Amino acid sequence: MSTASTKPSTVKERAGLALNDEFLRKAVKFTTERLRSGKKTASEEHGNWDDWRERGRQIRLHTIAHLDYYLNLFADNARANGVNVHFAETDVEAVKIALAIAERKQAKSIVKSKSMVTEELHLNHALEKIGVEAIETDLGEYIIQLAGETPSHIIIPAIHKNRYQIADLLSAEAGETLAPDTQILAGFVRKKLREKFLEADIGMTGCNFAIAETGSMVLFENEGNARMVSTVPKTQITLMGMERIIPSFEDLEVMATLLPRSATGQKLTVYMSGITGPRRTEDADGPDEMHIIIVDNGRSNQLGDPEFQELLNCIRCGACLNACPVYRHIGGHAYGGTYSGPIGAVLTPALKKDESQWDDIANASSLCGACYEACPVKIPLHDMLVYLRRRKVESGNGNLAEKVGMKGFSTLLGGSKRMRGVIRLGQLGQKLVERDGGIRIKLGPLKGWNTYRVTPSLPKQSFRDRWSTIQRETQAEGAVLDPALKARMEAVVAERKQGGGSKHGGHA
Amino acid sequence: MADTHKEWLKELETASKAKQKSFIDSISSKLGRPRPMEKPAHPFRGAPDFWRSFEWSEEERIERFSANFKAAGGHVARLASYDDAKQFIVDKAAEMSAQYIIRQGQPELEAMNLEAAMPDAHISVWNTNQEENWRARAAEADFGVVVADYAVAYTGSITVLSAANKGRSVSLLPTVLFAIIPLKRLKTRLGEALINFDQAGRENLPAGIHFISGPSRSADIENDLTIGVHGPGVVYALFVG
Repeated sequence: MSTASTKPSTVKERAGLALNDEFLRKAVKFTTERLRSGKKTASEEHGNWDDWRERGRQIRLHTIAHLDYYLNLFADNARANGVNVHFAETDVEAVKIALAIAERKQAKSIVKSKSMVTEELHLNHALEKIGVEAIETDLGEYIIQLAGETPSHIIIPAIHKNRYQIADLLSAEAGETLAPDTQILAGFVRKKLREKFLEADIGMTGCNFAIAETGSMVLFENEGNARMVSTVPKTQITLMGMERIIPSFEDLEVMATLLPRSATGQKLTVYMSGITGPRRTEDADGPDEMHIIIVDNGRSNQLGDPEFQELLNCIRCGACLNACPVYRHIGGHAYGGTYSGPIGAVLTPALKKDESQWDDIANASSLCGACYEACPVKIPLHDMLVYLRRRKVESGNGNLAEKVGMKGFSTLLGGSKRMRGVIRLGQLGQKLVERDGGIRIKLGPLKGWNTYRVTPSLPKQSFRDRWSTIQRETQAEGAVLDPALKARMEAVVAERKQGGGSKHGGHA
Repeated sequence: MADTHKEWLKELETASKAKQKSFIDSISSKLGRPRPMEKPAHPFRGAPDFWRSFEWSEEERIERFSANFKAAGGHVARLASYDDAKQFIVDKAAEMSAQYIIRQGQPELEAMNLEAAMPDAHISVWNTNQEENWRARAAEADFGVVVADYAVAYTGSITVLSAANKGRSVSLLPTVLFAIIPLKRLKTRLGEALINFDQAGRENLPAGIHFISGPSRSADIENDLTIGVHGPGVVYALFVG
């Protein structure tokens, strides 16, 4: 976490860094395009994709609308299964509970499978402070942990590293030089982490879904490390966002249909595990003791908020990242939070209710709606980005220059005389900088735009100048209207006035 | 020490139960209504209606399962009997020079009697005595042998459930996994396996339910597909019947 102090503070600065990194840009583009085409193939092959999306959306909407009922049911059932259930309103509380368990167990090492919630809590750092080694065991997570970085993609956390960088990191760990060959590198990690799994005191997991009616938790993964972590160590701790709930295993079929196809284009991940409580007395493996920490940390702020409640429907597949033209260019770290891409741009500020703490990440979107199209549970992320921007401005935390600019714009152009004056001034002033019908200087307010484009010059005669001529010409031509057509048009206008006309669609 | 740890857990439970009430009540208040005490009507439960009647013939199930499982990097063989499955495993052991084998204590495998066919191999049977370190036996094994509880053609998945005689480690820690699938257990859709867990109910569920859809894999290094990262790198699905 040594990078925190020197981290650039705005999305623009961080994106600037990413844009300078040629490899990152290519890697992110390559991977996201691959995942995106995988999703496209998988969803087309499955068929009726929109019906499944709608079903997924309905299940998530229903569960979140009754979250009090289902979460309570889950907690009661998990406890009946022998799980120690904990509730944490804040990140601080969640960390406190996890550390208390680790201390009580006198744990020396914890093996972890992928969990975005633990990233959100900066739990590894906290464990390190009390002398507990926390080892990420997902291959990509292990690599970025060695590099001292954070994930840049929900599904492929080390998307920004190439095999030579990875070989250097793993060679330092191995104490010998490893060739930059995927099989060799993965082989080293398998061997190294096998030892860690077998000697660890605690296994720590995230949670993809929690089944209310049976108190089970469900994990999706490809490597087998989440199974290791939840099978081999004597104690298991699971961190779970409070909204991960679905009612039943039947509902899991819909989630299992949507999640892997949307994330990687797979029909199902290699492993899907439903874990119901600790090891039974007669079993010879599985944890003796199991804890589930249910974390709020800002999630419940979305409840009852008509603009953001649907945010809790997210199943963390990463499809919106792969679809986003902005993410594909700037990569995950530019977003500056735990969650990146369109979902991160909305989730990060939404989890923090204090608008003054929001930085400019809601602006890191072109509002094109590709994220909504990609979302397997149809979350309108592009609308939410607009709500966020609006809220920031309304709370007086907007961009001051933008506000002054808008105000000036409205003053200057608010009256026809002032506008005429401004245009005259522009037509005269641009003579200094105009060349070939365009303005190319990269100075003052034109710097941002002109770095990549050319500003067209103002025409010698403006539309306003020409208006009187145009008006005269059109009146002369269009004097006679076919009486039948005229009558029909008048009828339409009359109907519209009575509040009808809805059969033509148009603006509601 | 054990007592004090139990007491400590008990304290945590008391605190957690108190917290649960305020935590859930706060959700209700944010949702702007009292907490529902009755089960809410859930009209969209499970897969869409058109999906529920979808079913392939047995031949097509085998074909589709095989295609999916192979595409994920797994191997499939269709065998007439458990004896043929035994011979298949014995041949593979010779081919790969496998020495250490761990198998579940399922009755089908007891009857198959690999032990007699491979007198020189070290064959352990899961959880047959209390003293053994069973995780270590599974971790050292070249082969793990299990009988699947279900299989799903549409996704190419094998389902294994844990029990006293069925270790979770047996399908996870060995280098090579053999899963014997009685043909009758091969379903078309994922939902046909999942519905059984709803019907069984919480009290009757095993601790571990695992769907396995091929060898362990990762694409975390430059998108280059790597097989056998943590779990078995070679997986055989053997249909019997």
